[in-house]
Amino acid sequence: MVVRVSDCNPDRLKRLLDEQLSDAEQVVVAEHLEDCDSCRSDLESLAAGHEWWDEASSLLNADLDTAEKWHAETSSSVDDSEDADFIVSPLSTVESSVGNVPLDFLEPSDSPAMLGKLGDYDIIEPIGCGGMGVVLKGYDSKLNRFVAVKVLAPHYATSTAARKRFAREAKAAAAVVHPHVLAIHSVDATGRLPFLVMPFVDGESLQERVRRNGQLGTKEVLRIGIQAARGLQAAHEQGLVHRDIKPGNILLERDVERAMLTDFGLARAVDDASMTRSGVIAGTPQFMSPEQARGEAVDHRSDLFSLGSVLYTMCAGRPPFRAETTMGLLRRIIDVDPRPLSEVNSDSPLWLTAIVDKLHAKIADDRFDSAGELADLLEGCLAHVQQPTITPLPDSIPQPAALPMQSRKRTTAFAASLVVAIAALAVAAQPITEWLTQSSTPVANDLGEILPEATSPYSPQDSASAEMGAESVVETASHQTADTSWESDIDQDISLLSQDIDLLDEETPLNEVGIAPGQTETPLDQDGPSPTDSVQE
Amino acid sequence: MQTSPETRPSLLLRLRNPQDERAWREFLEIYEPLIERLARRRGLQHADARELVQEVLVAVSGTIDRWDPDEAKGSFRGWLSTITRNLTINLLKREGRQTRGTGDSEFARLMNEQPDPVGENTALFDLEYRRRLFQFAAEHVREQFEEATWLAFWKTSVEQRPLVDVCEELRMSRGAIYVARSRVMAKLRKQIEKLEEEI
Repeated sequence: MVVRVSDCNPDRLKRLLDEQLSDAEQVVVAEHLEDCDSCRSDLESLAAGHEWWDEASSLLNADLDTAEKWHAETSSSVDDSEDADFIVSPLSTVESSVGNVPLDFLEPSDSPAMLGKLGDYDIIEPIGCGGMGVVLKGYDSKLNRFVAVKVLAPHYATSTAARKRFAREAKAAAAVVHPHVLAIHSVDATGRLPFLVMPFVDGESLQERVRRNGQLGTKEVLRIGIQAARGLQAAHEQGLVHRDIKPGNILLERDVERAMLTDFGLARAVDDASMTRSGVIAGTPQFMSPEQARGEAVDHRSDLFSLGSVLYTMCAGRPPFRAETTMGLLRRIIDVDPRPLSEVNSDSPLWLTAIVDKLHAKIADDRFDSAGELADLLEGCLAHVQQPTITPLPDSIPQPAALPMQSRKRTTAFAASLVVAIAALAVAAQPITEWLTQSSTPVANDLGEILPEATSPYSPQDSASAEMGAESVVETASHQTADTSWESDIDQDISLLSQDIDLLDEETPLNEVGIAPGQTETPLDQDGPSPTDSVQE
Repeated sequence: MQTSPETRPSLLLRLRNPQDERAWREFLEIYEPLIERLARRRGLQHADARELVQEVLVAVSGTIDRWDPDEAKGSFRGWLSTITRNLTINLLKREGRQTRGTGDSEFARLMNEQPDPVGENTALFDLEYRRRLFQFAAEHVREQFEEATWLAFWKTSVEQRPLVDVCEELRMSRGAIYVARSRVMAKLRKQIEKLEEEI
C-alpha cells in the first residue's frame, strides 16, 4: 500500500472521529499525525474543544484519592517526580487539605461558595500542589480580578530567617517587570504561612504541554526558547538568578501562546529553608546545572544550562538527564553529556543540537555569555526556519569544532572501554567473544574512522564524533539496565571485559581483522541512527 | 445547540411518573455518587454521607411531582444543590449537638428552598455534577473501545503521563496514540452532551 503521509485531509479526520475509517486508514492517519503538528491539533479540536480535554483530565483524574496521589507523587522515582513542585496535575477531592498540606490556614470567607479567605483574597479552589506548597485560585474583590496564590508549605515556613528570605527573594522577583516573566502582585510573609499573589493565567505549563504532545516542532521550540531566554535576560540584567528553570516553571498562556517564567528566586529561598532542616535539595534536580549539582555558587550561566535542558526536553519529549536515584541523576549532570539531541529526535536540526550542546557545557565559561546572546541567536534561527530560502542561518551558531569537549576528552579512554562493555551487554544474544574480535579493533584504533563521512558542517566530525557515538551507546545501553546499581555492575563488567580485550588483543593481531566501513558501524548503531543519519539541513 | 430527534423527555419529567423505574435507576446512577461525594467533600464521614444521600433522595422523591421544570424558579440542579448543602449543615449540626432526628417544620422549610439565584453555592455542586457526568460517560464509553485504545486516552490525557512512556508501555506508535485518544475524546464528549440534554 502506498501511503502518502504528506496528505492533510480534514475530512478524513472527521470521518476518523465518526468511526468511519477502516483500521488500515487509521494507520495512515496515525503515521501522518506523527509528522504533522497542525493536523494533530486539528484532530484534537475536532474531537473536543480544549476545555473538554482539560476537564477530562481534572475531573476524571480525581478518582484517585488525593492523599494516595500525593504519596505516589512524592515517593515515585526522580524521573516521574519532576512535577512534585508547584505546578502539578490537577487535584481533586478533599477541601480540607491539598496533598498533605492542610488548608486550615484559611480564614472563613463571607461567601459560602469560597473555600475561605487568605489576607484580602477569597480563595475559590486549589489549583495544584507540590513540594513547595499549594497553589490556590483566588479572587481579589478590590481589584475585581482572579489571582493565583502560592502558599509556602508549613515545613518551609518554620524559621523566621526562612520567612524573611522568602519575602526578600519574592520582592526581588517582583521587581522584574517583563512580558515573559509572570508578575508578582504582592508578597505576604506576616501571616501563619507566607504567600505570594500572582495573576491567574489560563493556560498550561510547558511540562504539561510536553507530557501531552511529546516532542514539539522546531518552530515551537524556538518560539518558546526565545521567550524564555528574553525573560531570563530581563531578570539577569537585574542581577537575579532563577536557579530553577524547568518546564514546570514555564507557563504557556492559552490562545496567545505567550511563554512566561515563574518562580524567580524562590528556589533559592526554599533551598535554604529545606537545606537547613534536612540537608536535602528541594524539588527535582533534573534541570539543575553541574555547578548546582555540586552545591557550588551559581551565577546567571547556571540558568543557561537549565534552559538548555528545557530546550532539549522540548525537542526530545523527555528530559536530558535521567536516573533512578537522585544521586545517580546528580552524577550524570556533573559527568555525562546527554545523548545527542539529533539522535533522540531525527527531526531536530543539527544546529539546534549544537546550540543545546553549548548550553550544556559542563564549564560555565564555555556556555553563551548571556541569555540575551542566546535569544538573539534563536531569533536568527527562527527567521531561517520560517524563510529558509531567504534568510540564512546566523553565523554565530556554535560550530561542532568549537564545542566544549573537555568533559568528553576527559573520559575518552573510559568511554572507549565502556562502549565495548555495554554494547556487549546490549547484544548479549551474540556470543561476546565473537563480537569482541570484530569491534575491539576499531575501538582500540580510532573510533572516528568507522563512522560515516561527514555530510554537513553540523555533523559531528573528528574524534568528537567517535565519542558522541560511543556515548550514545553508553546512554542507550544504560537505559536498558533497570537495576539501580547499574553503575557498580558496569564497573565490574568493564574490568572483566578489559581483561578479555587484553587477551584477545594478544591473540588477534590488529591488522588481521579487516573491517569494511559499512559493516563496522553495526555495533554502534544497534540502538539508533548514527548522528549523521539525521542530518536535516 | 443541536437538537437530536431521539432526545427523550427530560429525566425530571420522567421521574414524576412513579411507574418509570428506569428513570429512577438513571437518576440514582448519576446523582447518588454525586451527592455522596459532595457530602464527603464537605467533611462528612462515610456513614454520615450515606445518611445524607438517603435524606436528599427522600426529599427529592417527596417533592418531585410538585417540581415544575418550566417555571423560571431556577434549575433542578440548583435546588438540589441547595437542599444538599442545607441537609449537610443540618447533619453536621446534629453531630455537634449529639442529637438526631429531623423536625417536620425544618423538613418543610427545606422543601421550599429556592435555588440560590447568584449560583454562588452551586459552584461546588456544578463542579461535582460535571465530574459525575464525566465519570458516568467514561464508564460507558470505555466499553466501546479496545482496552489499548482506552488506555492510550486515559494514560496520556487523564493521567497526563509522558507520551514517550505510554508509547513504550502500550507498544503503540505516537501516531496511534494521537488517533486513539482523539477517538475516545470525541465519543466521550458526544456522550456527555447527550446526557446533558437528557437530564
